[in-house]
Amino acid sequence: MSKGLKTKTERQYTDKVHTWGRIWTVGALLVLLSLPFGFSVYYSAWPEAKTVFSALSKVILIYWTTAVIEVITYTPMLGAGGTYLSFVTGNITNLKLPCGLNAMEKANVKPNTEEGEVITTIAIGSSAIATTIIIAAGVLLFSPVLPVLRESPTLRPAFSYVTSALFGALGASYFRKHWKISIFPIVVGVIVLLFAPTLGVGTLMFITIVAAVAGALVMIKLNFVK
Amino acid sequence: MSDFKESGFMYAMAAFIIGFIVIESVFFMVKAWKRAKQLGISKETLKNTVISAALFTIAPAISILATVLVLSSALGIVLPWIRLSVIGNLAYETVAASTMLEQFGANINIEVTDPEQFSAVMWVMTVGTSFALFLVPIFCKFIQKKIGGMVSKSEKNSKLADNVSAAAFIGIIAAFIAVSINGKSSDGTSDAGFMSIATLVSAMVIMLVLEGICHKYSLKKLEMFALPISIFAAMGVCILLTVALPESVTSFTWWGGAAA
Repeated sequence: MSKGLKTKTERQYTDKVHTWGRIWTVGALLVLLSLPFGFSVYYSAWPEAKTVFSALSKVILIYWTTAVIEVITYTPMLGAGGTYLSFVTGNITNLKLPCGLNAMEKANVKPNTEEGEVITTIAIGSSAIATTIIIAAGVLLFSPVLPVLRESPTLRPAFSYVTSALFGALGASYFRKHWKISIFPIVVGVIVLLFAPTLGVGTLMFITIVAAVAGALVMIKLNFVK
Repeated sequence: MSDFKESGFMYAMAAFIIGFIVIESVFFMVKAWKRAKQLGISKETLKNTVISAALFTIAPAISILATVLVLSSALGIVLPWIRLSVIGNLAYETVAASTMLEQFGANINIEVTDPEQFSAVMWVMTVGTSFALFLVPIFCKFIQKKIGGMVSKSEKNSKLADNVSAAAFIGIIAAFIAVSINGKSSDGTSDAGFMSIATLVSAMVIMLVLEGICHKYSLKKLEMFALPISIFAAMGVCILLTVALPESVTSFTWWGGAAA
């Protein structure tokens, strides 16, 4: 395929992904809203708007601000298809994002390339289906047992620190290859948490990404990283 | 009317919503798979991507399942199942449900028996967490073009592009590492301390050892399983430490509260 033709085909594919993504996302929004709407109609159980808005006002400020940060932060990492899928299927920070990063690493492709785009889409789609199957199977088969496991004083820490295990394992690969540019963003993250320990990871991530990129650029400038 | 939470209607809604998500995932995967073949990506790489992503998903998905079951004591099994299979995430759904129930003087540990309260919880969960679905269709293309453009320009110097790209990834991972080192959870159940750092370090060491073995003996198949093995092994270490060490050590956190 000639370079010009390939670029045109790439553009066509990416444009199509955006068109499909918009249609599916609007569809998903309607499908999700059909749950409270359908329930309210079916059971004639319409809650007082005032009460709902009062609760919403408490969560919206945090959730919607985080949503803006997440869309800006994750979109370049996940690719177009991965972004549309991830924001509908949820669990981005603890699952879809590390899954997409791992897939690109394993397939030896880069983000913001079409190869990266298709690999993240396949990985995130696969992860979404696997999650659905595991949760559905678990709900149907293990519901009598798992609350006991979850509440077991011995096993509970393992579930509580699953993200430490996940990002420790994922981080090890990256840190081994890029240890020079890894230390600074971790130190920045730790210092920020000293002053704001409950800061949401979505916001903290924004700070550590800026620190990591800025740190890397300075080190490249100083020839510390080549 | 106490069984409305697990009624036929709720199960039908679960099938409809989760079915939609599965079909969407399959749709995007098929399109990406076809395009990947046109790009010359080998079938083996694509298969490995699917398997590796599915394996990667097991540990976090079990954790999500555990949350579904915890929430089920107040909300029944179906609503948490729907919410955490779709847009939801571990923290948001719990906070949204708790905030709404507090308005009624209830809490997440008590079973909801009033359909209006249940309906209110669903509205808050759905509207509260759906904002990103308004933003993504409007801004995704714009953000991709801007960032993509920046990367393309920097590709003139591919070393620079590689380092900047790696730094952005490391920035993401660094946030979670920092939270594991000295973060504080909003509910106090997973504050950083001895156990979080022990789990983090175990996962890193096990992953590096496995990668070393794979590299030394050219074990391509094992490499694919290195990440999920490391995650589960680190969780295993976490359980072993809980059993073997005194509680004063395992429950130590920087923030003074007792950890999980």
